[in-house]
Amino acid sequence: MQTILLIEPDAVLARIYNAILQPKGYNVILVAGAQDAVVAADNLKPDLVICELQLVSHSGIEFLYEFRSYPDWRDVPVIVLSLVPLVEFNDSLYGLNERLGVVKYLYKPTTGLAELAREVSYVIG
Amino acid sequence: MDPARQTKDYILPHQLLLSIAEQMKLPLLQIVRQAELARLNNDLVGVNDIRTLADNALQLIDAYSLSLQLNNNLSFQLAPQSTSIASVLYDANRQLEAFAKMYNVQLELNIGGRFEPVLAHKQGLESAIIGLASAFIETLPAQSSGSNFKLQLATHRCRYGIVAGVYADIPGLRSEALRRGRKLYGRSRQPLVDVSHTSGAGIFVADAIFKAMKLKMHASRHRHLYGLGVVLKTSSQLSLV
Repeated sequence: MQTILLIEPDAVLARIYNAILQPKGYNVILVAGAQDAVVAADNLKPDLVICELQLVSHSGIEFLYEFRSYPDWRDVPVIVLSLVPLVEFNDSLYGLNERLGVVKYLYKPTTGLAELAREVSYVIG
Repeated sequence: MDPARQTKDYILPHQLLLSIAEQMKLPLLQIVRQAELARLNNDLVGVNDIRTLADNALQLIDAYSLSLQLNNNLSFQLAPQSTSIASVLYDANRQLEAFAKMYNVQLELNIGGRFEPVLAHKQGLESAIIGLASAFIETLPAQSSGSNFKLQLATHRCRYGIVAGVYADIPGLRSEALRRGRKLYGRSRQPLVDVSHTSGAGIFVADAIFKAMKLKMHASRHRHLYGLGVVLKTSSQLSLV
């Protein structure tokens, strides 16, 4: 069973995303913030990280820099699923893709549950 | 009118509007995705959740609209009246119960003792407390991945009157964070970054309502908890307390 680390600060949305991914056969680990995500990644060796960028205290970007600084986690794919529109990253899109290994950027308001499940399946099978 | 004051009056609603627009994305997104999930699973429980989320979003819109009307003197003013703080907190608690349950947050009323009535407008005070509490409810589970979250609607006596506020275990919620948040709101996606993952609109709408009521919201402590509250002056009106 493949493990997904889902970093989602909103408890209601976390429950909804879990309800669509778990029945597809994924082991979904829910965490609310960056610090818990680092600990969970260390313990559970995720096959995929799905990450919101707006978190309490440390942003999703800070988490991704930390995450990518460990050799073991350099190749783990990351999907950003965020309330921040991609247009705000126009100047730093290259950094997101190349330096932080974001394979897909999904804007929450326009990403339905079926699309999310499809993207996850596309990335980790 | 003094140009500086004119600019300030103009910027306040504009900043609040931006903050509210950002904030409203969350409940609308929750409603849309919850509806999608309910449709996929033929889930009637999900329909109740949709109603709770929509109710909370409407409360925020109502409070926002009230704060705008008050700050622009559009239609009416909130003249202070003799108000029972306990009844305001009871009503707020009742209105927030379902929403808190969705976030696995346990709401507690902490009205330590009997208090004389305070001078405040009941509707304004209740809207502000609900706005504050809603913001706290959303953000409590985002502080850590635990599962036991408590939020107190509380009141206690202080040297200047009676404090009414909303309190939880959020150590980042201090005067400095609030001061920085006030400076950043309308310009940053997360003006209270150490406290909330959202724009914290409920907090700033409450701030605006308090301001219109000539009250100042402060970061304060209630026992071992951190929170936001206002100091209310007591009313000398005769009442059965």
